[in-house]
Amino acid sequence: MSPPEQPHKPGGGSDIVWSIIGTLVAGVLAWGGIGWLLDRWLGTEYLVAVGILLGAAGAFYLIIRRYGSG
Amino acid sequence: MTVLAQREGFHAPGIEGFEWSNIVDLHLFGIDLGINRVVLQMFLVVLVTWLLFFLAFRTPKLVPAGLQNVMESVVDFIRNQIVLENIGPDGLRFLPYLTTLFVFIFFGNLGGVLPLISFPLNSRMAMPTVMAICSLLLFISVGISRQGFFHYFRNTLFPPGVPWLIYPLLTPIELISTFVVRPVTLAIRLLANMIAGHLILSVFFVATGYMLTSANISTLFGVGALVFAVALVAFELFVAGLQAYVFTILSAVYIAGALEPEH
Repeated sequence: MSPPEQPHKPGGGSDIVWSIIGTLVAGVLAWGGIGWLLDRWLGTEYLVAVGILLGAAGAFYLIIRRYGSG
Repeated sequence: MTVLAQREGFHAPGIEGFEWSNIVDLHLFGIDLGINRVVLQMFLVVLVTWLLFFLAFRTPKLVPAGLQNVMESVVDFIRNQIVLENIGPDGLRFLPYLTTLFVFIFFGNLGGVLPLISFPLNSRMAMPTVMAICSLLLFISVGISRQGFFHYFRNTLFPPGVPWLIYPLLTPIELISTFVVRPVTLAIRLLANMIAGHLILSVFFVATGYMLTSANISTLFGVGALVFAVALVAFELFVAGLQAYVFTILSAVYIAGALEPEH
């Protein structure tokens, strides 16, 4: 394929919007899940919250890196 | 009428409107393979989809007319608006899959607004699930065959250009987002839209009928509800097309992502 003549993204960038939402959800799910499992194994209660925040931060990093510079 | 005097209160149609009992009972190895109304409707949609393309392109003419003209514009739409815009010329070999997907989903959704059918096929979980799994398997195999097994998963799970210290944080996110969230959202978006549409339409039409026949002040509101119900049918027609388009374009975007790794 020929990237140089790539036209503007169609559909008003709706695929980008869905990708951003998907990444956010995935971040929270993945690390929230890991935190939840760790909570169960270690008998703690706060790791699920730490995981969710960590996952959201990771997702933000991915999104900004991928779409931030336009 | 005497019926009006002793009618019961209004019962809003709910989720039971999605349950159909088997017309033909069939159990194989403990799996219910019975045929109900939804299965019959699926057969019908498959038949209609196949028949439209078969009749349109059975004896193709250089200057298309009639049905061939219509179906060619459908194929053209998918080719130009979805495949070429999102994947590029490289993606033309996926045109048959994406066109079939679009037409099948559209006719499946269309059942929701067609009189006598009045049921959107894709409001049953199995339909969008199977189609989402097809798209998932397709873009994974495209990625593997284009980039090689090892390269595809390395490019997907370890996005290049990231300090390696962050990989333990990012890899689980990429794993879930690519192989779980993508197919799940693909299926749920279509399913939820169709369930909501069917619920809204059935509530509006049942309520319209109830109010119009209640022979008191409600009858006046019934007229307004009827106008709204007709407008909602038009809206659901729009949603039927839109959701078919969204499902198809996102499948194309995922294929494009598998063809060309991130830089």
